[in-house]
Amino acid sequence: METQQLTTLAGVIDKKMNRQLKQYIDICARCAICKDACHQYVGTGDFKYLPARRAELIRQIYKKYFDKAGRFVPALYEARDPDENLLEELYESTYACTACRRCMYFCPFSIDTAWILSVAKAMLIAAGMGNEMLSQLADAAIMKGDQPELFRDVLVSGFKDIEAEVREITGDPSAEIPVDKEGADILYVGLAGAHSIRPAAVIFHEAGASWTLSLFESANYGFFLGDAEKARKIADRYMDEALRLGVKEVVITECGHAYRVAKIFHEAWSGKKHPFRVRHILEVIDEYITDGRITVDPGSVKGAITYHDPCQIGRNGGLFEEPRRIVRALAADFRDLTPNREQQWCCGGGGGIVAMSEFDEDRIKSGAKKVEQIRATGATIIAAPCENCRLQLEQLRDHHELDLHITPIMDLVVEAMPLAGTKAAQA
Amino acid sequence: MSDETKVDLELDLKGLLCPLPMVKVSQNITNVPVGGVIRAVATDPGAMADIPAWAKSTGNEVLKAEKEDGEFVFLVKRVK
Ligand code: SF4
Ligand code: SF4
Repeated sequence: METQQLTTLAGVIDKKMNRQLKQYIDICARCAICKDACHQYVGTGDFKYLPARRAELIRQIYKKYFDKAGRFVPALYEARDPDENLLEELYESTYACTACRRCMYFCPFSIDTAWILSVAKAMLIAAGMGNEMLSQLADAAIMKGDQPELFRDVLVSGFKDIEAEVREITGDPSAEIPVDKEGADILYVGLAGAHSIRPAAVIFHEAGASWTLSLFESANYGFFLGDAEKARKIADRYMDEALRLGVKEVVITECGHAYRVAKIFHEAWSGKKHPFRVRHILEVIDEYITDGRITVDPGSVKGAITYHDPCQIGRNGGLFEEPRRIVRALAADFRDLTPNREQQWCCGGGGGIVAMSEFDEDRIKSGAKKVEQIRATGATIIAAPCENCRLQLEQLRDHHELDLHITPIMDLVVEAMPLAGTKAAQA
Repeated sequence: MSDETKVDLELDLKGLLCPLPMVKVSQNITNVPVGGVIRAVATDPGAMADIPAWAKSTGNEVLKAEKEDGEFVFLVKRVK
């Protein structure tokens, strides 16, 4: 690699480094407590997945270019150039990280390895080594936002088909999936899949909510890619829609990272404060049940059920009790995983890793702790309000031959509602 | 474009939830030669926007995207 290119890549690190990140770089005591917190390291035993080691690669480059001692006696301080060898190791340890931040929770200095790795992603992208699949998925989402006229008719026609199903489920021929409804209270942002729209539409209808459906999906592969510009553009699609329609709140579907993007990151990326609030659909459903706006049968869930906290909703999003209250309202036999809430194990499916086939083998191995936790409860149903978690859990179930039904919470709620229709909630 | 187009790879994407149909097409596009065609059948309506958007942004070509008997049928040509 040319000296010029090495300096440019090191420059990317320098640009991204703020005081907090520099502090992380400096204070790591190499105590390795984080190794027992990371499901990937625990599940694979592979050194490259040790959280402090992942960050160490960035630290080495930083030392070489921006630290006096490292600049003059690099060997002593393990200061290194961002050459091909380092970048290849960095690629694996960075894109495999699910950004669950469990290591941060257990680190005595609260070092945020996932944040350090966002710097690594920026450098990999600058070196032309950003993940190709995530990049393609992000570009496809941006394409839909740039040329909505190309996709609008086909999307609306899909929504009409779902609306027909909602009418059959609710037994109400006037039930609607409104799109582009100015002045609605809620803009609901689902995923591209009908499964994220159908149950929400039933719940909003039964609650008599004033809502409208976004044309766009909330999933954000630009965020997983580590490209803040692309991530912002993807979120802008529905945030602009919310502004145009004048809604009071944006409600994100059962998805982890999308909730965090909308609730926490978008304002910083866009530099603008939202004139509406952002909530997760589970917060809204919890409120509907508590306020009696929807009725649910308390014995509806038969059998033992447990709940998985998706990292971006739980540890990194702060929603622990809302989903548990909903599940308890439907089920007599709720058994929590151990540990849970802030200490919940990552299932291994976050950070976009389910779309990156090169990590498939390690991803399944990294689910070992989750499987152990589920087995210990004896539950045969697990509710998981995140698409990536559910995909991972389904593959873990098949791999370990678990007797386990994996479900979004919305589906359980719809099944528990006394509805006049004849059709079952999910196709 | 008729169904007589020569198909190099068939993908059964039925039951997969979006965005997985798009992910699978993307993962498989290099398994057909340049000029080759994937025929994919999905059941999630979201694929009707996802797969054409992916093709447009990656410079590939959708020869067909149609609803047939409740399924969504795609012919995707690898352009480069
Ligand atoms: S637990 Fe924290 S201080 Fe200890 S090695 Fe890991 S990152 Fe460094
Ligand atoms: S954020 Fe999660 S996956 Fe990434 S290093 Fe920390 S514990 Fe491991």
